[in-house]
Amino acid sequence: MQFRPEERLAVRQIIAIAWKDTLIRFSSRSELLFFIILPVVFTLILSGGLSKLGQSDDRVPVLVVDQDGSALSAELLQTLGKSSGIRAVPMAADHAAAEFAKNSTPAWLTVPAGFGAALTAGQPVTLDLRALPNNLNALAAQRAISLASGQVGRALTAANASTVQAERLKPFTRPAERQAYFEASLAAARAAFAAAPSRVTLTQPPSTRGSFNGNVQASAGQLLTWVFIPLLATSALFAFERQSGTLRRLLSMPVSRAVYLLGTIFGQLTLALVQMALLLLVGTLVLGLNWGASPAGLAAVLISFGLAAVALGTMLGTFMRSESQANGASIALGMTMALLGGCGYPLELFPQAARTAANLLPTAWAMQGLNNLMLRGGGLAEVLPQTGVLLGFAVVFFGLGVWRFRYE
Amino acid sequence: MKKILVIGWKDFTLIWRDKTALLLMLAAPFVLTLGLGFVSGRFSGGSTGLSHIPVVVVNQDQGQLGAALVNVFSSADLAALVAPSTGADAAAARQQVAADKAAAAVIVPAGMTASIVPDFTTGQTGPAVAVEVYANPAQPVSAAVIEAIVNDFMSQAETNRVSDAVTVQQLLAHGLVTNAQLARLAPELSGHGAASQSTPLIGVQRADQTQTGASQALAVDALAIFAPGMALMFLMYTASYGGRSLLAERAEGTLPRLLSTPTGGAQVLAGKLFGMLLTGVAQVSVLVAGSSLLFHLKWGDPLALVLLILAVTLAATGWGTLLAAFARTPAQVGSLGSALMLIFGMLSGAFIPLRTFPAWLQSLAHLTPNAVGLDAFTTLARGDMLAAIAPSLAGLVVMAAVLFAAATTLFRRTGLVQH
Repeated sequence: MQFRPEERLAVRQIIAIAWKDTLIRFSSRSELLFFIILPVVFTLILSGGLSKLGQSDDRVPVLVVDQDGSALSAELLQTLGKSSGIRAVPMAADHAAAEFAKNSTPAWLTVPAGFGAALTAGQPVTLDLRALPNNLNALAAQRAISLASGQVGRALTAANASTVQAERLKPFTRPAERQAYFEASLAAARAAFAAAPSRVTLTQPPSTRGSFNGNVQASAGQLLTWVFIPLLATSALFAFERQSGTLRRLLSMPVSRAVYLLGTIFGQLTLALVQMALLLLVGTLVLGLNWGASPAGLAAVLISFGLAAVALGTMLGTFMRSESQANGASIALGMTMALLGGCGYPLELFPQAARTAANLLPTAWAMQGLNNLMLRGGGLAEVLPQTGVLLGFAVVFFGLGVWRFRYE
Repeated sequence: MKKILVIGWKDFTLIWRDKTALLLMLAAPFVLTLGLGFVSGRFSGGSTGLSHIPVVVVNQDQGQLGAALVNVFSSADLAALVAPSTGADAAAARQQVAADKAAAAVIVPAGMTASIVPDFTTGQTGPAVAVEVYANPAQPVSAAVIEAIVNDFMSQAETNRVSDAVTVQQLLAHGLVTNAQLARLAPELSGHGAASQSTPLIGVQRADQTQTGASQALAVDALAIFAPGMALMFLMYTASYGGRSLLAERAEGTLPRLLSTPTGGAQVLAGKLFGMLLTGVAQVSVLVAGSSLLFHLKWGDPLALVLLILAVTLAATGWGTLLAAFARTPAQVGSLGSALMLIFGMLSGAFIPLRTFPAWLQSLAHLTPNAVGLDAFTTLARGDMLAAIAPSLAGLVVMAAVLFAAATTLFRRTGLVQH
């Protein structure tokens, strides 16, 4: 393929502008903070990677106060201890209250006094669960506790039912006789439950890449967030050059507006791709993440997301008057759009109106694309709609940016 | 003193004219609080933001259990949580999940009732079958909720089956009935025990959902964590903005001009600090007032709240000042300040609980005004009074004193503050 001289010149100008922007951006070493240090630290924190490095058990801790001290309460604690989701931490009531008040533990369970006696008598018992209202760990803890208490309670329920029926047919003469009947029924019920077949099976689409892994959500979300914020900060480059008067100087040079903008976009996008590659490596090597089976699909989503973000940064740059203003706006908009786009928490947790509004955000489309690849095992075809929308965003934002762009 | 007030007031008024600064100081924390409020279910009254989870139920069972499970999903109790639709074709239901149109498909196989409820005449159950929950991997929390509903239902059905079986087994074993009598008694015996008990023997009551009695005292409004968490994070922006303005004045030449007037470097610095403090207090106060009015958030004891706002702003100002003393250019303060804002925000525990961090990081987090401040704000929101947050207030004031001392030493080296 042969380039004409003016095309060769334009390519050289684009590369020169991209290199100049890279030098400006990394003129301060603090840029490395945003480029790689903070993204890696945040990914590790949010994906539980740090807790993995510091602790061997990453199950949700639940403070458990046993005020009963009976064999049945011990059985409940033992069942809780076997849970794959929660880690029961036995504690005295006053210590638990103090610990829970620190908001560092999502749930605090109290087994009330009289628990064992009431259950043996067939009386329902209520466990007191205090849970932080703001986090999913509390919900997971509640579910795990309900499951464990159900496992302990069902054999007792069956034994009580059996004893009640026997009593209906022929009343027991002595409490000991009733107790013996109850014990025999309980042993039979436990044996029956142990032998019972599984009544519920959980399946997923055959292409799914394993069950949901919180690390996937955290890593993908952090990758997008930390690439998004610096790309929005492309606006700061324009503001910096406008503020320092160098943009004006470009007027006297044979550089068209489109070439200048393309150079800046090319440079920032290239840096973003390097940053993404580094974060993908960290996710793979440190967290053992599987980014999907389709490198082409992954590249399509990430490149189109990068283009949409840098085009948004370009457009934003036409509104900003100073570099600090642009940097501030990039962080505020970046964090907000990342959160509302599902990069911090799955969009399923948001109300319908917010989910619908999220369709206006590039972050939501990129997150959906990554989910399709990483969770659903999709390929390039499955992410084409998201890629198309992201490229559409890029065209619109870039068009508006060019239209509004002024050298002064 | 008057000069300090004038310089401080000048900085205070300047920042309120900067629209982008206002966006960061006020709008961003509000929007982020709103988003986290959605996620936590604060605005929908639940413990998460989950509602109207789309689920497809395919009932291929001819017996009463399949119909009962369908009824569970369409019951009034679950009306707000799930949005069920019924289908006849399991493959089509799975397709809806694959296309992300549903969080899960619940497929009740033929013979499900027969596999659990024994035949009256033979006393035998059919071959074991299982209900399939086909989960959408991209909606993991919603799918887990659907699975929990099905598990609860099937666990109750299984308990009824075992109850009936054990009842019969024990009556026979203890010689209370004979096989001949059993056929006559079977309909009577079946379903008198566990089946009549629709609620589990061991219930779990969540305090933050009930909001009654003793539980209420410990219930924390989710926004009582998010709102101060976001306010404190963006307070760090304000602090670094103040620090940046100090270096900007030096870079733009207005600081030397100011120092050529009969105004000492210490006065200029004190004026700048006063401006930062004033702006920070105003920012947090606006956020507190706004969230009280818009979200009906209760912040607790007013006197303690005022003192806490002052103390936390003082500590944040300390960090901003140290940053200005450490950095060489306004741009450096800007980028380091943004980094500090994000790191401190993350370490506050507002996004994820501090317990997720290793012990060393939890200790480190308490060097930030964000973690100490958030702890105190939630303590007040829980209903505790000034005494309960006194250690936090003292900690914040000490933090500010240490930071100001360190900053002053650095400023002396650069010649801004003369001996």
